[in-house]
Amino acid sequence: MIWLVWRQHRKQALFALAALAALAALVVPTGLTMRGAFADLGLPDCVRTLGKAGPANNETCLTAFQQFNDEYQGFLLVGILFLVLPLLVGLFWGAPLVAREVEHGTHRLVWTQGVSRRQWALAKFGLVGAATLVIAVGYGLGIGWWLGPLNSAGQRNRFDPLFFDMQGAVPVGYTLFAVALGILVGTVWPRVLPAMAGTLVGFLGLRVVLATLARPRYLPAETLTFPIQGTAVAPRETASDWVLASGVRNASGELVVRGGSIECPPNATGPGAAGCGTGLGVEPGAYNWQLYQPADRFWLFQGIETGIFVALAVLLVYLAVRRIRRIA
Amino acid sequence: METALETDQLGKRYGNTWALRDCSLHLPAGRIAALVGPNGAGKSTLLHMAVGLLRPDAGTVRVFGETPYDNTAALAEIGFVAQDTPLYRDFTAGELVTMGGKLNRRWDGTLARTRLAQLGIPPDKPVGKLSGGQRAQVALALALAKRPRLLLLDEPVASLDPLARREFLQALMGSVAESGTTVLLSSHLLADLERVCDYLIVLHGARVRLVGPVEDLVAEHRQLVGPRHGDDPIPGVASVVRASHTDRQSTLLVRTDGPIGDTSWAAHEVTLEDVILGYLADGDRPTSNEAWGVPA
Repeated sequence: MIWLVWRQHRKQALFALAALAALAALVVPTGLTMRGAFADLGLPDCVRTLGKAGPANNETCLTAFQQFNDEYQGFLLVGILFLVLPLLVGLFWGAPLVAREVEHGTHRLVWTQGVSRRQWALAKFGLVGAATLVIAVGYGLGIGWWLGPLNSAGQRNRFDPLFFDMQGAVPVGYTLFAVALGILVGTVWPRVLPAMAGTLVGFLGLRVVLATLARPRYLPAETLTFPIQGTAVAPRETASDWVLASGVRNASGELVVRGGSIECPPNATGPGAAGCGTGLGVEPGAYNWQLYQPADRFWLFQGIETGIFVALAVLLVYLAVRRIRRIA
Repeated sequence: METALETDQLGKRYGNTWALRDCSLHLPAGRIAALVGPNGAGKSTLLHMAVGLLRPDAGTVRVFGETPYDNTAALAEIGFVAQDTPLYRDFTAGELVTMGGKLNRRWDGTLARTRLAQLGIPPDKPVGKLSGGQRAQVALALALAKRPRLLLLDEPVASLDPLARREFLQALMGSVAESGTTVLLSSHLLADLERVCDYLIVLHGARVRLVGPVEDLVAEHRQLVGPRHGDDPIPGVASVVRASHTDRQSTLLVRTDGPIGDTSWAAHEVTLEDVILGYLADGDRPTSNEAWGVPA
């Protein structure tokens, strides 16, 4: 079986390796340049002091961040393109796995040799799954390393939607899930193109639903409040918290300003000696409010999301093995 | 005599439609059997159940006493050439023979290589680039290399030109004659079957209509021509297969169980083709004038 799987999929494997090499050729040099620039600008020190001392007291840091972001934030957009890679693996490795056999009728050739269908399925899914795992781990770690400086440069943090999805452990979960989904759709709808279409729709659908509805609720979000006047510094996103919602509440807790915060220096007054924020209809006693997931939950959330997708992948493969028994 | 393939009340249903129903038959070992029927009669369904690709919805199917579904031990005894002789088109013939060696415990790679060499099939060319006849030969060589006791072929020559068809059937007959393999071959090319088969199974409308050795079947059937016939029994006639009438005369295809006693009937011998066509002809074909919007 191993010989057969290798013989059938060696082209795909070599193609994937070539693609991975091309990706590395892009990521490694730019990653090294980025890291060099990050260090030259003295940003590692800024990052270390950032959450604690605040940026206001460090003009040089602000300028350096600005400079770094101006130069490199374009890479973030390139990075978004990488989001489709797990899907591509699902489309080109997963969907044809069973669908092509049935479309060409070769399942009747291979399932009537001396190997049971279950054995065939386990060998095939197992080996393709293992190759997927290796590629996905390489990809996840590589992109995580590449995004490192951009994550901490303040423009975006790694907890943000899209940036969370493109690094760390989750790409592994997505890729395994995409391949498993492709396999199952291929058994339900055993034609290559419909199987690919079904995989595309299913994958995007579940990803969007989980990312927008479920992910913010993996753990109860924490709340942060701070006065609108007199704070030296607001807790900053650069500290990599994932801010889900923010605003200003009045003394009785009603949300009077949606989004954003009001930060006045101590004892400052507005025009006509009005109180801080009066122009916005904010009365005395109001305070800033933030709903957020703390930065240190990043890996926990990565683990939860990866777990969900890996569990789904296992379930889908199980269903596919069952479905295969009914194909003739 | 040993039974190679045996089915009892076998049935397979797709949704509400029975693709095959109440199918009971015995195929003795050593026979070359033809499985005949129009498209959609259930031939492929029967073969797929016999080779364990499909699980029956009713009844049983046994190959040398074993249930083939999900049973690799039974699978080892069966060689199967599926419809349109599917092969991995990017594999070379040599690689396909290697594949068979990896997937089967009992495998005669030398046999396959020798056959393919004799047929002049290149070992290092992707089989997708071979002609249809050559591909069919490769598929047959793969099935034979399992050294099966039962060889099932689903319309193996349907898409071949007459010359390739003849060569394929010759190759098939030559090799099974040596090994004593039982063969079940589905086809609707009656002339080909008549040449090679000694056993007949006729399927029509998801049911078995006729089973038996070709010689006996031909000997038992007669065409009777005589005066206009009602429903009265004729001595020596077990059943009337098919009847056509003019005003004064009736022509009957009958299965006999003795000499025809009534001398008003002229009895003629029939060919295998006559017998098969007699069982396949559908008297009450439903019309679809309404669907076409044309007058009846």
